[in-house]
Amino acid sequence: MTPPDETSPNRTEVVEQQDAASAAAPQATVGAPEVPTRPGEGARAGGHTISVDDLDAYYGETHAIRGVSIDYAANDVTAMIGPSGCGKSTVLRCLNRMHEEITGAYATGTVKLDDTDIYGSSIDVVAVRRSIGMVFQKPNPFPTMSVADNVSAGLRLAGVKGKHKDEVVEKSLRDAGLWEEVKERLSEPGVGLSGGQQQRLCIARTIAIQPDIILMDEPCSALDPIATLKIEELIHELKRQYTIIIVTHNMQQAARVADRTAFFWLGELIELGPTEKIFTKPDNQRTEDYVSGKFG
Amino acid sequence: MPGTRHAFHEELENLEKQALGALDMIVATLERALEALKHQDVELAQIVISDDDRIDGRYLEVHQGILTLLATQAPVATDLRTVAALLHVIKHVERMGDQCVNIAKLIPITGHEPPVDEEMLATVVRMGDLAISEVRQAKQAFELRDVGLAQDLVRQDEEINKLNREVFRMGVRAGGSDEDRLEWVLTIVMVARALERVGDNAVDIGEQVAFVVTGLFREFSDASHPLPS
Repeated sequence: MTPPDETSPNRTEVVEQQDAASAAAPQATVGAPEVPTRPGEGARAGGHTISVDDLDAYYGETHAIRGVSIDYAANDVTAMIGPSGCGKSTVLRCLNRMHEEITGAYATGTVKLDDTDIYGSSIDVVAVRRSIGMVFQKPNPFPTMSVADNVSAGLRLAGVKGKHKDEVVEKSLRDAGLWEEVKERLSEPGVGLSGGQQQRLCIARTIAIQPDIILMDEPCSALDPIATLKIEELIHELKRQYTIIIVTHNMQQAARVADRTAFFWLGELIELGPTEKIFTKPDNQRTEDYVSGKFG
Repeated sequence: MPGTRHAFHEELENLEKQALGALDMIVATLERALEALKHQDVELAQIVISDDDRIDGRYLEVHQGILTLLATQAPVATDLRTVAALLHVIKHVERMGDQCVNIAKLIPITGHEPPVDEEMLATVVRMGDLAISEVRQAKQAFELRDVGLAQDLVRQDEEINKLNREVFRMGVRAGGSDEDRLEWVLTIVMVARALERVGDNAVDIGEQVAFVVTGLFREFSDASHPLPS
């Protein structure tokens, strides 16, 4: 990862840095398949891991994340919990390089998808976000697109067309648990679905491009209890294929869906452990106080 | 940082007070049962039997309170362990109450002026005093979250167990062929057994103290696999 820059390394600047890197070493990036442009390539079939080492994240002068090191295990669901402003969403956004999209924001440390440093100079930031998909708090289907087009939106960029595209749309909707509900309305606008269906549509869109990791930023906070339950069941299904990292304010949701839970406070990782342990006998008193509602 | 969930923690504290307060009810009931036994007071025994409804009522109150707390507050960590432990505590209280009833029901069986073996009676009364002491100590250990005090219950309970075996041997010796005397002796053996069970329940509460504090449950003593003496 590049050290902090006085100027804001926004998206444009990231591309410029890459261009500069390409110009400096054209033999390494032009027609050189041994240089991975998509992180996670060649990873073991069992699933993908993310390793974060000594991560610090900043919003301009504000030091938001301090020395976070955490390994997200393959095919695990890891929940990140903590009070508002503790940095859990910032950590999540550092995992697919979305943090740097904010003006003045930057990060230091190492984030590896399997063995690839996603902040490496030869890494294509767009490819990072294809490998590490994200589901947001509020369902955000493209308003002018049909249900099917919403799912295939990412495929077009990947050059998938025709019959194969239809197959991927159906498979993705099935995997997102939505196919039976929308198979007769594939050409209708995606925004016509209910909130819960829209969120599963967004999950279908995320998995259509076959990411290695799925990040979820409070995916159920805008949903009713039934729709929440469906998403939680879906998370259980998806973890067979994907490594999932979820930020949630709902501690019971963390307890229900996560294999491991990480508690953050004031920008630091306080405790990471098996979910059962975090919610029955955490090691750290601050974790205990937070999960039992003594602060937050 | 200001605390939150005050109402929940108040509710939990009240539930604990109710559950541990029930141990005071057991102490009072045991004292009455022993008094009734010493003086062959059938009326007092009857009060012990009818007052068990109050202990059962407390059991239902605490049980319902715990269910409500679980359903509405989803306690976790130490709170969760405390709630789980209180569920055990109140069950043990209810069983101790039943043992007091068992003792009280035995008292009229022996008749108005039974052929008392004073040494045997004194031993059972000594067992009763130890059982009362154990119940008090179990309550204190829970209130103070004192694992050492909880583990000390095992020591006291071993004394009760020893006296229980002694009562049995005395009964075998004293029974003889006189039917009235045999009836009294068997009754006292059963009273001793009930008191011994009260002691076991107190030790079980002590084990819950250790669970609340450490997060690990283990039996202080294993009756199925006793250590070689």
